Amino acid sequence: MINYIYDGTFEGLLTAVYEAYYRHEAPLHINSTTNVQQSLLDINVHITTDTEKASKVYNSVREKISYQALKNIYHAYLSELSDIEVHILQYIKFGFKEGKNVDLYLSDDRVMAVHSAVKKVMHEQHLMLGMLRFKQLEDNVYYAQYTPDHNITNLISSHFARRFSDQNWIIHDLKRKYAAVYDRNSCIFIDIDDEFQMNYVDKSDNYEVLWKNYFSNICIKERVNPKLQKRNMPGRYWKFLTEKQI
Amino acid sequence: MELQKKLEILSAAAKYDVSCSSSGSTRKNTKGGLGNSAACGICHSWSDDGRCISLLKILLTNVCVYDCAYCVNRLSNDIPRAAFTPREVAGLTINFYRRNYIEGLFLSSSIVKNPNFTMEQLYESVRILREEYNFNGYIHLKAIPGADLSLIESAGRLVDRMSLNIELPSNKGLQLLAPQKTRENILKPMGFVNSKIVETKDNRKFFKSSSNFVPAGQSTQLIVGATLDHDLKILQLSEGLYKGYKLKRVYYSAYVPVSSNPKLPAIIKPPLLREHRLYQADWLLRFYGFNSSELLDEKNPDFDTELDPKSNWALRNMHLFPVDINKAEYEMLLRIPGVGVRSARKIMSARRVRSLDFDDLKKLGIVLKRARFFITCKGKYFTNIALNEFHIRQALTEKNKVAQDNWEQISMFSNLVELPSPEDKFMSLAGEI
Repeated sequence: MINYIYDGTFEGLLTAVYEAYYRHEAPLHINSTTNVQQSLLDINVHITTDTEKASKVYNSVREKISYQALKNIYHAYLSELSDIEVHILQYIKFGFKEGKNVDLYLSDDRVMAVHSAVKKVMHEQHLMLGMLRFKQLEDNVYYAQYTPDHNITNLISSHFARRFSDQNWIIHDLKRKYAAVYDRNSCIFIDIDDEFQMNYVDKSDNYEVLWKNYFSNICIKERVNPKLQKRNMPGRYWKFLTEKQI
Repeated sequence: MELQKKLEILSAAAKYDVSCSSSGSTRKNTKGGLGNSAACGICHSWSDDGRCISLLKILLTNVCVYDCAYCVNRLSNDIPRAAFTPREVAGLTINFYRRNYIEGLFLSSSIVKNPNFTMEQLYESVRILREEYNFNGYIHLKAIPGADLSLIESAGRLVDRMSLNIELPSNKGLQLLAPQKTRENILKPMGFVNSKIVETKDNRKFFKSSSNFVPAGQSTQLIVGATLDHDLKILQLSEGLYKGYKLKRVYYSAYVPVSSNPKLPAIIKPPLLREHRLYQADWLLRFYGFNSSELLDEKNPDFDTELDPKSNWALRNMHLFPVDINKAEYEMLLRIPGVGVRSARKIMSARRVRSLDFDDLKKLGIVLKRARFFITCKGKYFTNIALNEFHIRQALTEKNKVAQDNWEQISMFSNLVELPSPEDKFMSLAGEI
């Protein structure tokens, strides 16, 4: 059994796809270096990320399949689901066979695996546009923490860059130790280690109190429906919601 | 009065307004400004009753000169009263918006002094937001019936959506419960706003820079269960509003008993199921190409509580079914109970490359709970229930009937009468067994 190990970047994944094609190999798993399980019988092949090879795959997916397929691949990659890399490889192989029609094969397992990952990512992305909560820090910086299931920080940051263009803000993904930082001009992405501390004065913000107040008063008591609330707003996201803090 | 207290009173007073959508507008951020609106709309939270919170929904004031029996803010009700200043509203909106709590503002008001004064106050709040704070987020503003049309027009130039609530579906209801309001008073500004929207759209085809007017359209709200009106009456009214006034949405609000006025029906729980059925029918009108006359008529003026309107329609029109999934037109796919716009589109694209069977439908994520009784795939029918109204109706409402004791424990020796499946029937007819 052959396993590919890549560095976890999108370019790395595309390089792995390139190698699988030109070495005529069908890897059983493609894992990122952070996620390797050594087994006795497996052969691990380390893939060295090569931007030239990656861009070849990138361009040929775009030209020979479609731009939509390229977007699907990127979004599926961001899902970080287990074994999604192999599903992406199979999707690309199928795509080169079928061309731009690949996304019409909605009941094909290779297409379904990628589409369902894309759906999860896009859904969480949209949910977070609403459910991210910023706290006002000193120096007029707005700071938001969250732990999304998928790696969506890059996806949501463009929305906030348009919306809060006159504001300094930071979106911090605690799970991946990754952050988007915006300074009214441009948005940069940085890795943040554990020791990182914002000068985070836990002063009480009057507007947070007002918001909690509003949240409890807007509910119609005769229609209370906690099941519906949880379905729309899953409990795992409540940790960072201002209105759900006591 | 403190801001906390005011917010408490005025958000609680606004909660019976159902509308909270923030979709339909594509207002962009300006240089140095704050905010934009997303065409798809964004929900920011869900309150304990499960309804989405997208906008900061508040009244400017709950001091009212009207005495409408169904309304919690009526003159004769003994509740605490409060009023925001326009500046307080703008400040709250901006600070909530910057923390990403909300998508914008939904500002409404009770009638203080007179309609014109109230409308001026509303206009002032919106003007401060747009002009002083450079706010480009979503604003939904109530137009006040009876206010000067020029006031409504200048407010309309600043906001994304406007709404006028009809509340009671018939004139009789209005006379009984809200004698100070008339239907003409509500419909006149609604017609005016509609004509301005149309005019502005035409203008903007030629002059891109001409100012926009209520880009996300108008909406209204009807109370369900406060009067004796039938569902048919309500649905016909909605249909008329969608066609005649090009409304974006009609909201239905199950009447929550807020008063013990003898003119109002004595109910304990709000009629939530009826509200749900009306929403289902409303969707059928807007996205599925149905007419109100297809769903209800004089003989059945109310919706079935056991079955949804679309299944009901299908059962009354069994001659149109079963539908072949691989050949039917899009319009017909939409009429299959259990198949929605998204499912119909998926079927349309998936069948371009491959003809579909039932396993494929399951993989596409199409819910077959109701649909299976009404479709065939590659010439096959999915269930063993006879294709007629009686049997399918029984199968669809089965869940509710399990509770009754018409079941028996099967024993080794009991004689079961086996119903022949449609395939068996066909085989016995064709003679191939």
